[in-house]
Amino acid sequence: MKVEEERMKNERETEGVFEPKIVGFLCYWCSYTAADLAGVSRMKYPPNLRVMRVMCSSRVDPVFIIKALLDGADGVLVAGCHPGDCHYQKGNYYARRKIALTKRLLESLGLEPERVRLSWIAASEGPRFAEVAKEFTERIRQLGPNPAKGALFL
Amino acid sequence: MIRREEPRIGVYICHCGINISYKVDVEEVVDFASKLEHVVVARDYKFMCSNIGQELIINDIKEYGLNRVVVASCSPRMHEKTFRNACKKAGLNPYLFQMASIRELVSWVTEDEREATEKAKDYVEAAVRRVAKHQPLEPRIVDINPNVLVIGGGIAGMQAALEIAEGGKTVYLVEREPSIGGHMAKFDKTFPTLDCAACILTPKMVSVGQHENIKLFTYSEVEEVSGYIGNFDVKIKKKPRYVLEDKCTGCSECIKGCPVTLPNEFEYGMMDRTAIYRSFPQAVPNVFVIDKEGFSPCRNACPAGLNAHGYVKLVSVGKYEEAFKLIMERVIFPASLGRACPAFCEEECTRCLAGGHVQIRALKRFVADWYYENVGVKLPVELPDVQKDKRVAVVGAGPAGLACAYYLAIQGYPVTVYEALEKPGGMLRYAIPEYRLPNQLVDKEIELIKQAGVEIVCNTPVGEGGKSIDELFGEGYKAVFLAIGAHRDRTMGIPGEDLRGIYTSIGFLRRVNRGEKVELGDKVFVVGGGNSAVDAARVALRLGSKEVTILYRRSRVEMPAFPEEVEAAEEEGVKLQILTNPVAFHGEDGKLSEVECVRMELGEPDESGRRRPIPIEGSNFKVPADSVILAIGQAPESSVFKQEGLEINRDGTLWVDPETLATNREGVFAGGDATKGPSTIVEAIGLGRRAAEYIRRYVEGEDLRAKPYEEHWLETVDKEEVLRRRRYTVSPPTSLVKRPSHERIKDFKEVEATLSEEAALAEAKRCLDCAGCCECRQCELLCEAQAIDHHMKEEIVEVKVGSIIVATGFKTFDPTPLIQYGYKRYPEVYTSIEFERINNAAGPTEGQIRMKDGRVPERVAIIHCVGSRDENTNRYCSRVCCMYSMKFAHLVREKTGAEVFEFYIDIRAPGKMYEEFYNRLQEEGTHFIRGKVAEVTDVAMSPEEEGRLIVVAEDTLAGKVRRIPVDMVILSVGLQAADGAEEVAHLVGISQDQDGWFIELHPKLAPVSTASDGVFIAGCCQGPKDIPDTVSQASGAAAEALSLIMRGQVEVEAATSYIDPEVCVGCQQCKRICMYSAIDYDPARGVCVVNEAICKGCGLCAATCPNKAVTTKHFNNVEIFSELEGILL
Repeated sequence: MKVEEERMKNERETEGVFEPKIVGFLCYWCSYTAADLAGVSRMKYPPNLRVMRVMCSSRVDPVFIIKALLDGADGVLVAGCHPGDCHYQKGNYYARRKIALTKRLLESLGLEPERVRLSWIAASEGPRFAEVAKEFTERIRQLGPNPAKGALFL
Repeated sequence: MIRREEPRIGVYICHCGINISYKVDVEEVVDFASKLEHVVVARDYKFMCSNIGQELIINDIKEYGLNRVVVASCSPRMHEKTFRNACKKAGLNPYLFQMASIRELVSWVTEDEREATEKAKDYVEAAVRRVAKHQPLEPRIVDINPNVLVIGGGIAGMQAALEIAEGGKTVYLVEREPSIGGHMAKFDKTFPTLDCAACILTPKMVSVGQHENIKLFTYSEVEEVSGYIGNFDVKIKKKPRYVLEDKCTGCSECIKGCPVTLPNEFEYGMMDRTAIYRSFPQAVPNVFVIDKEGFSPCRNACPAGLNAHGYVKLVSVGKYEEAFKLIMERVIFPASLGRACPAFCEEECTRCLAGGHVQIRALKRFVADWYYENVGVKLPVELPDVQKDKRVAVVGAGPAGLACAYYLAIQGYPVTVYEALEKPGGMLRYAIPEYRLPNQLVDKEIELIKQAGVEIVCNTPVGEGGKSIDELFGEGYKAVFLAIGAHRDRTMGIPGEDLRGIYTSIGFLRRVNRGEKVELGDKVFVVGGGNSAVDAARVALRLGSKEVTILYRRSRVEMPAFPEEVEAAEEEGVKLQILTNPVAFHGEDGKLSEVECVRMELGEPDESGRRRPIPIEGSNFKVPADSVILAIGQAPESSVFKQEGLEINRDGTLWVDPETLATNREGVFAGGDATKGPSTIVEAIGLGRRAAEYIRRYVEGEDLRAKPYEEHWLETVDKEEVLRRRRYTVSPPTSLVKRPSHERIKDFKEVEATLSEEAALAEAKRCLDCAGCCECRQCELLCEAQAIDHHMKEEIVEVKVGSIIVATGFKTFDPTPLIQYGYKRYPEVYTSIEFERINNAAGPTEGQIRMKDGRVPERVAIIHCVGSRDENTNRYCSRVCCMYSMKFAHLVREKTGAEVFEFYIDIRAPGKMYEEFYNRLQEEGTHFIRGKVAEVTDVAMSPEEEGRLIVVAEDTLAGKVRRIPVDMVILSVGLQAADGAEEVAHLVGISQDQDGWFIELHPKLAPVSTASDGVFIAGCCQGPKDIPDTVSQASGAAAEALSLIMRGQVEVEAATSYIDPEVCVGCQQCKRICMYSAIDYDPARGVCVVNEAICKGCGLCAATCPNKAVTTKHFNNVEIFSELEGILL
């Protein structure tokens, strides 16, 4: 882990504030565009969310989520087009099923399913993207650090 | 396998002027990047996207032998292509490049500089780790189909289509309205030059219509788009026009015959139009269209499929003979039905929701009576000259049998009807009493059938005591139709049924109808709850019985008789005793004296859905009686046909195929009460006509089921939608004149009178024209070009194109919800688009600016920003309203000399000669009042306000509230995304912004491109704009499309899926979920294979494959994991 960041984090944690690390998988057509729009509109949201681009939310293999949690993410956001709006016709419906499955899987592993969130964010919904980033960061902050972090059960 | 060379990565951090560097410590990030694994060089630059920035990368690739590049700058949506091209120039595969977005995702959204820098470092590390795993990919090269699809035929679509067509390429122009022209065709003048819109538009419309390279699809919609840039497959749905485009000459004779009146949407309902219409005289194509939204509810409610809407409309314009002809196309016995039909149509009439149903049955009666009186008993059709040789026998001269005979006869088939009784007519003659249907009328109606050539042989039973079916075939008939009715009365099977004084209803009614004298005595009981029970009871009264009681075992709601018949019977004095059933009849000397009854209660519903009556034990009682009439149901005399090999149902009816009415015996068909049990005349006629069609097919050797019976049938229109779109006032039906009950029970004369002509005309005009076109087919008679085809069907045309231009325009804001402006409450409040029509020489007032009462307005207010620049409606400025408002002000002053008040917030006049136009208006004396209008009211506070509309607004320049009395108010409504924009966006894969406008690829540099390659947008679908901007954009989009075509080939994304045959187990899960059917199963090798030409690279298959045989190139698991590790570790 990077020294500087570790130092800052420790500082904050000693102040009692937990700063979670959150990974976001955003579909390129809607949610990634919304993230760009939030940027262009200069909307501020917590820096805890790090986003990654996928072409469609259906590309998000449950393995990605588990990998992220094992590698230290405290929460994982998956965002795609609204139901009915998928650029690939109905990929987001498949994403919805995969996320539902992943949540149950996490539950059986003893992890809070709330650490994974699926949101529909349309290309025009920059404000919503910022809102989701805020809300989710706050939620994960309440949940506390991910207990599976570094756990070697794979 | 080639050994992978060691990654040598160059990292470039962009300052983006100060956009990134004001939050991110770029130097620190460079320093951080330079220490990452495999990084050979890390640099920063002010503008990486500039030529110098790109050169930096190109030189480093050469100098340091870089084989991977990372640029951390803006969003990849912005410059990924730019940097990929730079790599390519330096000989590096463009897919060995990765971009980190540290502007949109970092500097612009993060408050704290430290946090921003850390976040930027994470993204850079993620990109470095990812790019190390990238593999070179070869972009696929595909040919570009040179054809272009343009969606929307307004000025934008027309301009784009013309530009491309002039360039020699084929354009498919699809417009959903019947004519191209769009909104511009509605304008009279254009700002600021005040040149005539029609003068500049119509020549363009004509060019579009005549251009050999433009394939015009009007009244059509794009149904489906598949494929990708250069190779789109498009399905275009051509809605049925019901007028043949290649035959219609646009002469407009047809509208003279059309009885339908509908609001003219081109004139925003300020005028009416007929169902067959043309939007405006200069329409292109100059072809009429019939507005047919489905079938009217009345028409689809009729068991015989009678077009009630059609004849009601014909009555409304006084075409009674035509109405009679139309009726006879679907039913015989119109006068009888006009009296005794239960009128299922009336129950479904949309008018039921607006005052009460149209008196459809009474109108039919009026038409039939008028015809017999004024035209005579004369066949309304011409018989074919040549008789066919295939003879058909019909058994039974009731409604079903005669309908079958009639419809065969008018097609030239010789038909013989065998009737067991002494006269034809069946139940019409023998069961329905004279006071409902006089027999002399039945005679007239049968005369018509005879005129059609039908031979009726009476006193000749077939079956019971008569000829056999075999004999009929032996006599040379090719087919037999059994319409024997249901004449056998059911009995109760209780003691005493054989006593004198006990009658069955059919037997009783038949005797009365024949004129026989029946002595019932004073006290009569009728058992049963059906129509024949009610008929028997009412007849008994007329025969002089003092006390007539109907005994019914269930309650009133379960009675199968028509409620109006029950009511009429009660009016006349018939008593109703419900929940009572006879259990025995007692008599003296073989003559009935007492009826023993039991009380009933209702239990659980039985198979008919009605609650089952259960006798209450010990509730028996006796009442004295002179006569009892049993009316508990009838069944056909069918037993004899069993021996002829026909299948009989358990209830005694004949078994038939419900579609074709064929019995199990070859060549024998059956219908009417014989197959349905006792039902209605109209159902029997419907079945008879149906049988005629299937018998025709049978004797001609056609496949019975090759086509449905109703070849031309449409769904019922939505009643709510009808009420929403029609203008109407709630009004009650014309009441039918009936003789008073005390008088009518004295004789058998008709109870109800026929409508007078005035009443019929008024009643017919209440029809709401639910379906639009009523299919009276008067237009067909008037069209010399024979261009009308009422049976036209929707058509799907498939075309292939290489690019698509979307130009679907806008709609105007509907100010109805803004009640403060009084729109639709005060007649003199207009929207701007309505005013365009009023001001237009071709509009409802022929261009004269007049109030609804015909006066010339002296003072006119124009209210700006209605539905624009308002938190409650649309926040954006609609850009055109200020200018068109000033155009209106000028025109109003010019045409009427009225004083004009413009209420504005700010005047937006940015454009060539626009500000000058504003100045001119000010000089002309138009009053400009700066202030948003609070309300428009008719409550006067001074004598000069009396009788006028008062516009109340705060004049923000004068700093006071002003009340301006005016005669006319024009609301300058804003522009909104067009209806259906969402569907179009889905079809072609583009996005809409929060207001519904289509999103361009880049607001400055790619204003007509979209995120979907090969799809361009032009005009107001992208956002509000005036005509010059629209036309410029359209030309721009056309240039983009042409530029694409001229390239001939295009690179398409190489990031498709790949299935490793070594790992695939052939489970085919990927094949099942692929939305594009891009995966095939190869049974020879037992593996799935991706067709890369179809694959869109969404990656769903890769996420689905259980053993990870599928990888999505450029988004494979290794790459994504590396990126994740860069972010997290």
